[in-house]
Amino acid sequence: MLLLQQIVNGLMLGGVYVMVAVAFTLTIGMLNFLNFTIPALFMLAAMFFWATLGGGFGSGFTNLLNHWVPQSMHWVVAAGLALLVAILASLLIERFTYRYMKTRFGDATEHAIPLVSSLGFLIMFEHLVIMTWGTDPLSVNSPFGTATIKVGGLLFGVPQLLSLVFSIAIVWVLHIMLMHTKTGRALRSIAENPDTALMLGVDVQRIVPLVYVVTGGLCAIAGILFAINYRTVGPYIGDQVATVAIAGMVLGGLGNIWGAIVGGLIVGLLEVLSTYWFGADIVKVPVWGLLLLVLIVRPSGLFGHATIGKGKF
Amino acid sequence: MSGYLSAQLSILCLNIIIAYAIFLPAASGQLNLGAGGFAIIGGYLGGWLNSDFDGLGLAMQLSIPLAALATAAIAFLLSFPILRTRGVYMVLATFAFAEVVAGIVLNLEVVGGAAGFPVDGHADLSVLAPICVMVVVSCFLLMSTRFGLAMRSVHDDENVASLFGVNVHWVRVAAFTLGGLLGGLYGALYGHQYNYIEVQNWNVMFSIYVLLYVLLGGTQSPFGPLLGALFFTVVPELLRSFGAAVGSELIADGRFAIFGALIVLMMAFRPEGIVTRTMLERLMGRGAREKGAT
Amino acid sequence: MTALLSLQSISKRFGGLTVIDDVSFNIERGTRSALIGPNGAGKTTLFNLISGVYPIDHGSIVLDGRDFADIPAHRRGGYGLSRSFQNIRLMPHLSTVENIMLGQHARSSTIGMLAPLGLWRNRWVREAEQLLADAGLSTFPGQVVADLPYGIQKRIEVVRALAARPKLLLLDEPAAGLNPAETDELLKLLESISAQGVTLLIVEHDMHFVSRLCQQVVVLNFGRLLFQGTPAAARRDRAVLDAYLGSDHAA
Repeated sequence: MLLLQQIVNGLMLGGVYVMVAVAFTLTIGMLNFLNFTIPALFMLAAMFFWATLGGGFGSGFTNLLNHWVPQSMHWVVAAGLALLVAILASLLIERFTYRYMKTRFGDATEHAIPLVSSLGFLIMFEHLVIMTWGTDPLSVNSPFGTATIKVGGLLFGVPQLLSLVFSIAIVWVLHIMLMHTKTGRALRSIAENPDTALMLGVDVQRIVPLVYVVTGGLCAIAGILFAINYRTVGPYIGDQVATVAIAGMVLGGLGNIWGAIVGGLIVGLLEVLSTYWFGADIVKVPVWGLLLLVLIVRPSGLFGHATIGKGKF
Repeated sequence: MSGYLSAQLSILCLNIIIAYAIFLPAASGQLNLGAGGFAIIGGYLGGWLNSDFDGLGLAMQLSIPLAALATAAIAFLLSFPILRTRGVYMVLATFAFAEVVAGIVLNLEVVGGAAGFPVDGHADLSVLAPICVMVVVSCFLLMSTRFGLAMRSVHDDENVASLFGVNVHWVRVAAFTLGGLLGGLYGALYGHQYNYIEVQNWNVMFSIYVLLYVLLGGTQSPFGPLLGALFFTVVPELLRSFGAAVGSELIADGRFAIFGALIVLMMAFRPEGIVTRTMLERLMGRGAREKGAT
Repeated sequence: MTALLSLQSISKRFGGLTVIDDVSFNIERGTRSALIGPNGAGKTTLFNLISGVYPIDHGSIVLDGRDFADIPAHRRGGYGLSRSFQNIRLMPHLSTVENIMLGQHARSSTIGMLAPLGLWRNRWVREAEQLLADAGLSTFPGQVVADLPYGIQKRIEVVRALAARPKLLLLDEPAAGLNPAETDELLKLLESISAQGVTLLIVEHDMHFVSRLCQQVVVLNFGRLLFQGTPAAARRDRAVLDAYLGSDHAA
């Protein structure tokens, strides 16, 4: 029963990883760009969520909030702000990454230019947050507390359960949109080949920002759910979550959203189970060892491109 | 020499060495986000070989080169699986490698695990500076050889390089292994300079910073990493003391945010890095061109 | 005396598509030959097979008595083969001289890999500069090639291929995109290369250029050998005319 409980906990933890892994896989599948700003967007959203509820913007803002918004609705404002800031930041990033992706020489390191600028953004956002709120872990006044439900002796955290259901639902909606709407088809044609898409009349410069908006949104929701679940935030939470989410994405196969869901759940499970069996210190070795192995032996991921996602999508 | 100056120069020497460790693979087209992994292996091996109490108690003159060579040997063996990956996959594979190394060392009780590991022998600036100069000179020499030409050709177009007789696979293996050698050397020197090492010194952010300042300097010529390391060491220090002088904590704390913003702007407007071949030719090749024109 | 290059019934399939289908021909030593055919006939693919970019599925390629079956691309240069490319494939971040020195690569020993090239003017640098001077390109030795005009880059490609001191030089559309003056320069360069005893095999669409330079043409169509003979005979050949007229209508 204890093992079963660990498995449940692992899947719950996987729920947070899933959404971040989907954000990664979306930009890499669509734009062939490993977006290292995702941890920063995730962290920004969580920090803004905390700051709205925990007085991080100073007493003036808190007074204003108390005056205009009833106490029970504060978290809605917090979530809205978090979503807004992540999406705006993501659009700013789009201007400096995708717009400059035209290759000139086709040499071995040129394709990595957006990746490198996204690392620059990661450092910049993290340090801006550190300058504002410091490096100490901050505790979130979660409106949802620590409610749990017990099913057949197994303990489910309500926020965790909600976030798992929520992330799968969002990915499902995303999948429907990609497969059945006009915008979705345009996106998939960009994923196949941006130049051909442009020739076929797809407005690449207008559609691509949409990918960034969705990325920002996914990161924001994941960040908010993280803040509600763990009720502790800090400038480095993005790095911790995103590195594991990357492992999940690779496991599922780059560019494969359903693969990212399964991959995210697997790494969550792996993390909890190896902590349970071998202790917390060793967690990195199985997660990263598995990632290294998959990259070398089967870089298309456990599910490849074809079985789950029908190509990239 | 003041203590402050010699401390800063020691940091500069170390940063230059690790910059070349990442430059050599990058010059042949490999983006290596595993600097931390090599540094950990070199640092802990150097410390353990040198330590009287836990390790072999070798003299520093032996422990440092042995650690570097052993790291190179590990890099050589690792290069075969890792070089099967390309592009983004390689970035991820080297990154995963560094994390696995960190995870393993964190659990090795013989080197203190998470508590860190004390290193006995002390290497001060009089050791670091000559080694650093040697590394820089050797890298300049290496890049000027036919092997260096082969590395840069593999970076530009490996298929064509192969058709002109370059053994692309071995050039890539050699570049990765030499990167490992310098990474191990850096780690061992770092341990002996500060006499205390812990895995957290060489986390993901460390690997990211090194790769970024190498790319900021430019990978087209061996001047790039030199300038990148100089920039990365000196500018934050200048900003810190400038911030202290005007009493602004914002400037001092914001120096890494400024570094990040610089990277973004650099990639947007000059993605080849600060030092490019065209620039060097303008600075130094004028004589050659005039001679050619006559 | 045997032929320099001998192709024996070579075939290549990509997926279900047969790109080269049972092609055999010989190239004699010291000759200048052209490989022609409509777009998609498999000319560049044939070059790629000879130089080892892809393995052949069937048949044999023999250069100067040496079977290429088990020789990887990077060692074929050492047996006297060199080539240029349809789209310019110079190393953009290397200087002109360095690109030429890459051409010499197959001739250097393992120890030679570690001899410094740039520090003093050793024999490799002198030779590369001489080759550039012979081709009338001596004004650009230190220039990074990405900064040079197209016509110049096109000629540097030929000189780079020549730097390998090949017995057989494969040139893929060397005259494409050149203006008449540049084409004349190229023709002179190729004639002087041929005069040194290098065997030339070129892919070229410009039939005027071909008939000025080459003694022999090999015509491919849909991956099959259609004709081999003199340029004048090719112009009279019924099958060749059909293939070209057909392609003209399609275009």
